[in-house]
Amino acid sequence: MLQIKADIIGKEEVMPGVFNLIIVSPEISRNARPGQFVHVLCPSGDGFMLRRPFSIHRVVPGRAFEILFQVVGKGTEALSRVKIHDTLDIIGPLGTGFKYSEDIKSALLIAGGLGAAPLLFLAEELVERQVLFYPMLGYKTKTQMLRYIDFKRLGKKTYAATEDGSFGHEGTVVDLLNRTVHNIRPEIIYACGPVGMLKKISETADEFGIECQVSLETKMACGIGVCLGCACVTRQGYKMACKDGPVFDTRDILWGAEDYEKGRASGCGCDNEAPPETDSAG
Amino acid sequence: MKNPVMPASGTFGAGREYSELMDINRLGALVAKTVTLKPRDGNIPPRLCEVSSGMLNSIGLQNEGIDHFLKHDFPFMKEFDVPVIINIAGNSLEEYAQLCREIDRVEGVSGIELNISCPNIKAGGIAFGASSKLAEQVTAAARYNTQLPLIVKLTPNVYNISKIARAVTSAGADAISLINTMVGMSIDTNTFKPNLGNITGGLSGPAIKPIAVRMVWEVAQSVKIPIIGIGGISNALDAVEFFLAGATAVAVGTANFINPLTMTDIISGLEAYLVDKGFTDIGQIIGKVKT
Ligand SMILES: Cc1cc2nc3c(=O)[nH]c(=O)nc-3n(C[C@H](O)[C@H](O)[C@H](O)COP(=O)(O)OP(=O)(O)OC[C@H]3O[C@@H](n4cnc5c(N)ncnc54)[C@H](O)[C@@H]3O)c2cc1C
Ligand SMILES: Cc1cc2nc3c(=O)[nH]c(=O)nc-3n(C[C@H](O)[C@H](O)[C@H](O)COP(=O)(O)O)c2cc1C
Ligand code: FES
Repeated sequence: MLQIKADIIGKEEVMPGVFNLIIVSPEISRNARPGQFVHVLCPSGDGFMLRRPFSIHRVVPGRAFEILFQVVGKGTEALSRVKIHDTLDIIGPLGTGFKYSEDIKSALLIAGGLGAAPLLFLAEELVERQVLFYPMLGYKTKTQMLRYIDFKRLGKKTYAATEDGSFGHEGTVVDLLNRTVHNIRPEIIYACGPVGMLKKISETADEFGIECQVSLETKMACGIGVCLGCACVTRQGYKMACKDGPVFDTRDILWGAEDYEKGRASGCGCDNEAPPETDSAG
Repeated sequence: MKNPVMPASGTFGAGREYSELMDINRLGALVAKTVTLKPRDGNIPPRLCEVSSGMLNSIGLQNEGIDHFLKHDFPFMKEFDVPVIINIAGNSLEEYAQLCREIDRVEGVSGIELNISCPNIKAGGIAFGASSKLAEQVTAAARYNTQLPLIVKLTPNVYNISKIARAVTSAGADAISLINTMVGMSIDTNTFKPNLGNITGGLSGPAIKPIAVRMVWEVAQSVKIPIIGIGGISNALDAVEFFLAGATAVAVGTANFINPLTMTDIISGLEAYLVDKGFTDIGQIIGKVKT
């Protein structure tokens, strides 16, 4: 983990409202593992101050790394206005990445929308390790097929679903998974996307006895395991998304009943034994 | 203390993570996250929410308990060339007393900070820090059980902070730290749900700084013991405001999350400020606000 002031050497609006930045850092590019993230101080703007977490999307070995992000609020809006040769204050690489055992042979990578961000880095790593894998990508519509070409180039066979049926399977990526999983029979599923999607994928994985790892998103403050603010509910108690995660084995996650969509803020807003308390003391 | 700058409890853990990003040996002191007698799970997520110029948190004093702390975290903190302050909270007077007894026996502790704004306590859920009578009792109970320097950390969620400050001073506090977070709330306008799992949480960051400066100033008028000013400090000039209001030291919380170098930047910035203004010692500006 390092705090760096890094140069931006590439910026592309890959589709409206989604940007890719190439950021120079030999250290982060050398040490980063797929599934890890960086904590970015977005250029100061109005009404926000905390850093924002972004998955490491890809590395240019020994030289730079990339992030892929969507403008959803003030922080990402400010970040979308950076220019090439601006510098960004970044802490990283952070968190635990995806895990893979040495003898793994086949994997299924499921991305919903921006979930493609960490999974492309994973896909490149799997190619390196000669693991056969199938990308399965869910999009709203044909014109928003983020990184489809890249996954298609790397994967054995690529599956796509669009909600409006303009490309591939019509429906959600979860429908597509449920239709195809018995044919693909992967040893492991890696997934990233909206928490509702991840929960359903974990149910399918459970049903078929397939190991499943997902990357969860929570609100973060410190990003390094200090503030205890990014808690997720697991069978082993509260775990911190920034330090124990963001990648978790779905067998450990306790998904919240109706709470989990809440503000997209937590992949695990479920109830636990702790009584609710008013706590002004942190 | 090498200088009057330290982390605020709960925003620096035991220093382990930040030690990778900054030089802890430059700090005036290390202040540990609140520990309790028994481990506490903390509150249901979401626990964080950013708001205008600040953040809400409802962590809920998640910690592994005093035994674990003394075995695993304190030895790490002790290795630095910096005084270590242990921050404690209890559900009852007995718990505060017992924590003080246990810590008093430990070699290498420089002080105990009483967090008396924690909820769900014996007296019907009223925080110890919100009643001058309870604040006095808990300080007295702690005082009776430790020889160590005793800092009492006050909550700003009270009408008359000076009254509480006088109460803890008369009960034997050696110093006062303030402020802890202000109770606040934020609501998601799409889902109509609170943004925190706990519904309400503590507001910290620049948003509370003027309140903190005012409270430090008021307390400085009413007690003689040293004051550690806390609340929204992000740079050297923020810290100077607290010194002018009467603080003898400052602690930095939320700003650490934004820039881990905040405290060391403040330390250098204070030196530069003093030189620039022709002072030789920070003592020369303490309480010097011209009202
Ligand atoms: C470990 C981790 C990795 C992440 N990786 C990526 C990544 O690679 N690419 C990426 O684009 N984002 C990623 N995110 C999410 C990203 O951090 C947030 O989108 C960002 O913090 C939002 O900041 P903001 O100030 O723009 O929005 P805010 O002002 O904080 O929020 C604005 C609104 O957007 C909602 N919102 C918050 N996050 C999201 C989101 N992710 N998508 C849609 N709405 C959201 C909020 O609830 C709010 O209503 C990641 C998050 C985590 C925890
Ligand atoms: C995430 C978080 C956790 C905190 N935990 C504690 C704690 O365990 N004990 C305590 O006495 N204060 C705790 N506080 C309060 C801070 O120590 C400090 O009093 C408060 O945040 C105001 O300072 P700031 O504006 O610089 O953050 C916490 C604050 C935050 C933001
Ligand atoms: S964001 Fe602070 S512990 Fe995870």
